[in-house]
Order: sequence, then structure tokens, then C-alpha cells
Amino acid sequence: MSDVAPTHPLRIDPESKGDNLIPKELHPGQGSSKKKRDAAPLRIVDTSVMSVNGLFKSYGKGAVQVPVLKGVDLEIAEGGFTAIIGQSGSGKSTLLHLLGTLDAPDSGEIYFRDQRIDNLPARQQEYLRNREFGLIFQFYHLLPELTTLENVLVPRMVQDGFFRYLKNKRSYRKRAIELLEMVGLSHRLTHKPSQLSGGEMQRTAIARSLISDPSILLADEPTGNLDSENGAEVMETLTALRKHENLTVVMVTHDRQLASQADRVIHLVNGVVAS
Amino acid sequence: MYKLLLSWRYLKTRFIALASIVSVTLGVATLIVVNSVMAGFVDQMKNRLHGILSDVEISTQMFSEIPHPERHVEIIKQTLGDQIQEATCVVRTPALLSFDVRGRQWTQQIMLLGIDDETFGKVTDFEPYLTNEIKRQSFSFDLEEEGYDQEKFKGDAGWKYRRTRIEIQQRIEANNREYQSLYDNAANAFYDSEPSHVEQATHQTVNTQEGQGTRFAPLPATLPDIPPVGQPANDETAVKTPASTTAGIQAPTKTEPQGTANGAVHRISPFDPHAKFRPEIRSEDLFDPMKDHRTGIILGLAISERKAELPSGELENVYLIRPGDDANIMLTTIGESPKPVIENCTVVDFYSSNMHEYDSSFAFLPLSELQQLRGMIDPMTGQGSVSTIQIKLKEGADLNAVRDQLIAQFPPNYFPDYDIRTWQDTQRPLLSAVQMELTILNILLFLIIAVAGFGILATFYMIVVEKTKDIGILKALGAPSRGVMSIFLAYGMSLGTVGTGVGIVIGLLFVKYINEIADAVAVLTGQEVFDPTIYYFSEIPTVVNPVTIFWVAVGAIAIAVLASVLPALRAARLHPVEALRYE
Repeated sequence: MSDVAPTHPLRIDPESKGDNLIPKELHPGQGSSKKKRDAAPLRIVDTSVMSVNGLFKSYGKGAVQVPVLKGVDLEIAEGGFTAIIGQSGSGKSTLLHLLGTLDAPDSGEIYFRDQRIDNLPARQQEYLRNREFGLIFQFYHLLPELTTLENVLVPRMVQDGFFRYLKNKRSYRKRAIELLEMVGLSHRLTHKPSQLSGGEMQRTAIARSLISDPSILLADEPTGNLDSENGAEVMETLTALRKHENLTVVMVTHDRQLASQADRVIHLVNGVVAS
Repeated sequence: MYKLLLSWRYLKTRFIALASIVSVTLGVATLIVVNSVMAGFVDQMKNRLHGILSDVEISTQMFSEIPHPERHVEIIKQTLGDQIQEATCVVRTPALLSFDVRGRQWTQQIMLLGIDDETFGKVTDFEPYLTNEIKRQSFSFDLEEEGYDQEKFKGDAGWKYRRTRIEIQQRIEANNREYQSLYDNAANAFYDSEPSHVEQATHQTVNTQEGQGTRFAPLPATLPDIPPVGQPANDETAVKTPASTTAGIQAPTKTEPQGTANGAVHRISPFDPHAKFRPEIRSEDLFDPMKDHRTGIILGLAISERKAELPSGELENVYLIRPGDDANIMLTTIGESPKPVIENCTVVDFYSSNMHEYDSSFAFLPLSELQQLRGMIDPMTGQGSVSTIQIKLKEGADLNAVRDQLIAQFPPNYFPDYDIRTWQDTQRPLLSAVQMELTILNILLFLIIAVAGFGILATFYMIVVEKTKDIGILKALGAPSRGVMSIFLAYGMSLGTVGTGVGIVIGLLFVKYINEIADAVAVLTGQEVFDPTIYYFSEIPTVVNPVTIFWVAVGAIAIAVLASVLPALRAARLHPVEALRYE
């Protein structure tokens, strides 16, 4: 995967990308290639890295089902900065969770690099979350028992087995320290999350999301829990990193001012895309 | 990697979980101590039982007999081939033992064993249990000059003791006889004399009586353990029923007041018409209790030994009968009309296997002697029959297979009177009771560990609930459910391993220093933990069985892991989004 992740050429033949997306042993095989052919006419832009078709999702059980997403269609451009904006309860966080395969939609399809991912087996979804998607949350979600450096290394630990991790530990640590330097936390390597400020925690979370060299960053209100100063700092870091690492970023926010920094803004109103 | 790291971090930060494994530690330590001590007791008991009972025996009922034992042994040796090491013939019979204690007859039931002194010691552990060290080296039924346990008998055993004893006794008897004759003379003088002399004669007699004390030889003050004068102990006076020829010759000393002190002179009536046909009796052929002793008998130590608690609280061994003393055995002959037989024996040694059952009832006689007494010798062939054939097998022979081979050789439908058993069959009730005890104890102790397991389960469940969000994070970062599960399994396993490891160390240390601990407890509480008078163990026997420890460790770790399975499953089933939202 290392040949894919660090620098994305702007235009890549989608067919070949699709084959490289998931290692052979995890490749879904026959079923998905058929789906791919079916999905082909729906594609609008060749450079889209992610596309969503008619996504429905509701919460609750039985009679008291609350519909959250009511048929969302959207495209996310490769290398772009997309902001999804909407009011509380408009379903934007749910949409992001669906994009990150943390949850399954009731109906509809999600494609990543022309491959349907919403119905993949758990093992392949885990692989995608670990290697292709970088996730950032409003409440940082760091592991309280681990230091900053270890928190950044967690995706790599999850990815490798015990011995393989030990073998690669040196390079992983180097990369983790590099990332923590980029987010301005090189002096906080051995601190526990409880000893960090909110902004520092979020920047640690950003570093963690980048450790596996993902191709797309999914941020769920990354500044939502921060004051404006810290929030601006985090946004600055994010923007700088996006340029440096040539990342595709999808950010969910309710802040119009933040959204204005994005290349493209998608308004989500009552579970459908408004514009 | 994250699994180990997180398990380790949880272990370091959650002390409540460490508290829950203390019970695992205690359970494991207790299991090891109890198993080791029980195994020690059982091992010692089995060793002794095995040693006493031999491997396999063919026996018949005690008042019946196995004829032609040599032929039987030959057949057994052929049947078993090279599995057999040695076989010995034994006669077993219940009998009464009686001896003199303070002038009174002490009678008790014993199990009399006639043993072949050449082979018996090779088949069973007999010689190591004797108290005389010379007999332990080379066994015989003779009274020894020395070698008796100095600590037990304080020198009052063996030939020296016997000679002193007999000498005192003979002196007492001589004095008694002298006194009797003086009295007789006085009485005769009184009755023969004229009435006018009565007063004088009476006066004389009284005088004589007063002077008696100086005429008797003084008793040495240092002579030990002698009954008071006037209550002569066993020996000569006890021989009222001559059972052997020597006793018959010796007996007249009792009835002849004029006989010399040692009673060895035999008078032949000058009017005996058959006198010239009788062999000349030389004095060295006569039984002299100073030089000779009767048939040697070895008694179980507990028949004689009594532990007396002195007012100071110390224990002292006292003996009803000592090596060198004589005793009578009474038994019946076998055959159509059993008749009682009494034989006078001399105790030559004690047998101390520390199994009370045997020590309090066994007595050993030479095989041929007992065969003769019981009429087991065929007058036609001169061959004796026996009641038991004991067999010792070579190392590694299968006891039960050998028994079955022997049963096939002596099929029960042709030999309904034979009973072929291994030593384990003989002691099955005891062995199975002990085994049962051990099993139940193990189950109970494992339940303690199971209780500890539920403690772990509860603690882990709490930890999983507390860590719900972390689990969500890990899943969001692509950790598989299996991986999340193994965090908690590894956590449980490490807790179980730590608890078990510490438990094993504590248990083994306890076992190693158990006697010191028992002493310390005795000092603290003022009460002996294992009373040696009851248990016959000077120290607590322990056997550490590595296999047992292995299974205890495996069991304890398995319980810890099983207890963490449920919480781990819950963690694995958590939905990432819901887990992330959990507050």
C-alpha cells in the first residue's frame, strides 16, 4: 500500500486503483466487480474518491424509528476539502460514520475508489478504517492509559502483529514523532492525555489519524469542543497538513465560518443534501 | 501489540483486579499445601502398608492350611517367570499373649506370624523395623547381648538385663525358701515339743524371724525395674505347665524346697527301674535361664510400650515387657479337634513399623516352631503346611496382572479356599477412603478458586463497562473484535498467571518450612499441631508432586481465563458508534 498512500497523482485510472485498494487476500472478488459495473453509469466525476448513492439511515427500533438520512447522494473529490454543514440533528455525524464504515446504512451504497464498501465483510472494513481513513472526533477519543506517542502509534499497533510491529517499530516511531512535530507537540511525547489541553489532544488525534498514511481524512466537528483560538489553531494545522500530505479531507461542522475554508460545502438539511 | 500494551497498562492502573486475584493465590497455595501434606501422609502410609503386606499374597483362612508350600512356591515361580523376586511362607494365627506385670497376668490377643527368617525379610520390610540394630544387620531369633535401643530401654534389655533379673529372682526365691524352712523348723519344733516348751519355742521362732533380715543377701540398690519382694515376676514360677521337655526338667525346682538356687539339678529316683535306659543328663544340657532363653518371639512395640504423661507434661515411654523377659503364648492346633497349646517364649526384640494396627497386634515366631505348635507338620513326610504365601515382585511388575495370572493358575473353582490378593486389595477400604478424602478436599479447594473466578468476572465486567469508549476508539481505528476480546482474555490470563505463580511460590515455601511453621504455631498456641503420640510422625511428611502442581496451575489459570471470557465477549460485541457515544 505504501506506493499508493503518501502522494496521490491527481488522475488515476479508477479500474487499476480499485484493484490496488485492498490486498489480494482481502479482495472481495467476483461479487464486487459485478457491482462495480452496475455502478459505473452513476459516476459523474472521474476524480471522485468517494461517492454516495441514496443513503438511508434511521435509528430506533420497531414503530419508533427516527429517520436520520433520507436519501443522500454526494461525491467527494480526490484531494479536495469538503465540508458537510448542517444543523444539529441533520444527520451529518451519522453520514460521516457511514462514510467511515463505523455503521451500516439501511439502504443505499457507498463507494470508495469505485468499490462498494458499506456491505464489505467486517475484516475488510477494519482494514479500510485502519489504513485508508483517518478519523478525527469532536471529543478527541484518545486512550487515557497511553502516552501521546503511544496514542499516535495505536493504528500501527492494530495493523501489525506483535513481531512485525517490533520489527517496524523504529520507522513507526520516527514517523509518529515527525507527525507530532508537525502538529507542534514534539515536547509532549510522554504525556498522558489527561495532562494535555483540549487543543493538544485534538492535535494528537490528528497526528494519530495520519500515522497510517490514509488517503482520506474524516473529521467530525474537530473544533466543536474547542475555544475559537484553539479551534483556529487546529484548523490551521489541518490545512497545513492537507497541503503537505496532499490529503482528501471531509469535515463535518455546524460552523459556517469554518466551512468557508473548504473547497466545497455540502448543506445537509433534514437528512437530504440541500445544495 | 496494542493488546499486550493495553493489558499491561490496565494491569498497572487497576489495583482492584489485583485484589481479586489474591483469592486465586490463596486457593492455589492451599491446594498445593494440602495436596503435598496429604500425599506425604498417604505415601508414608502406603510405603509401610506395602512393606508389611508384600506385593501379592496367597492366603487361606487362618484355621485352614496350604499343604506342600514348597511345591506351591515352585509353581508360582514357574507361573510368574522373571517377574517374581522372592516368595516366603508364613503361618498366621490369632493367639493369646500373656506375661507377668507386677505379679499379675497381663493377657491380650495378638496376631502370631510364623516367619521363615531367611526369606521373610526379603519379601517384606521386616528387618528395618526391628529395634535392635544387630538384628537389623543379621536377623535371628536369639536374644542379643546388646544393640537394643539405648534411648528406649536405657540399658534394661537383652542378656545383661535377663541375667540380672533372674539372679534377683533366684535370690528372692532362695530367701523365700530359707524363710520357709526356718518357719517349718520352728513349727515342727513347736508341735514336737512338750507343752512346757511351748513358750520357749514361740520365743525362739520370733527371734529367728527378727534376725531374718540380716541373713538374707541384701538386694543391690541399683538393680532396675524389679518387682517388690514377695511378688516374684514371671519366669520360673510362671512355668506351671511344662510345654517342652526343657520346661519339664526344670519344673521340679518349684516343688522341691531343698533344690539349689539355680534349679538345674535333676534327681533320678534310685528306685526307677528304667534308670539305666534313660540318657544321662548332663548339667550343660539343662535349661539354665542365665545362659539360655526360650523360643524367641518378636513383639509389636505397641504391645509393650505405653506413653505416659508425667506431671511435668513430658512424655515418657514405659514398658510392660522388655527384651529378655519371658511370656506365654496360647493358641490352638489346627485339624479336626483343635486343642489349646501353651508355649513359653522369650521376647528377643520389638517390631516397630509405626502402623499402630500392626504394632499393637503382630508377634513373630520362627516358622518351624509355630508349625510344630499348631500341628501343621505332616508326621509322614515331615513337611509343614502354611497359611500364607507372600510374594515380592520385581520392580515394574504389574500387580493386578500378576494377581490375575495367579488366579488363573489356582482357579477359584478348584481352590475355593485360596484368597489371592495384592496389598492394595487388602487395604482397599483404607486406601479408597483416603483417596476419596483427597478428591473431596481438592473439589472443595477448587471451588474456592472458582469463587475467585467469579470475583474476577465481576471485576472485569466493571472494567469493560468503564472502558467502553476505549473499545469504541480501538474499533474505529480498525481493531478487529477478536483483538478487542483478546485484550481482556490476555488481561485475565495475566492476572491468573500472576495469582497462580505467587500461589505456587507461597505454597511451596509453606511446604518446605512446614515443620518450622508447625513448631512456631505450637509455640504460639501452646499446643502441638501434630501430636507424635497419635501420628507417629516426628515431622510432617510432605511429597511435592510436580504433576499436581502443573494441573493446579492449569486449572487456576483456566478459571481466570474463563471468568474473563464473558466480559471479553461483551467488549467484542460492542458497536463502535454506540461505544464512542458512551459517556
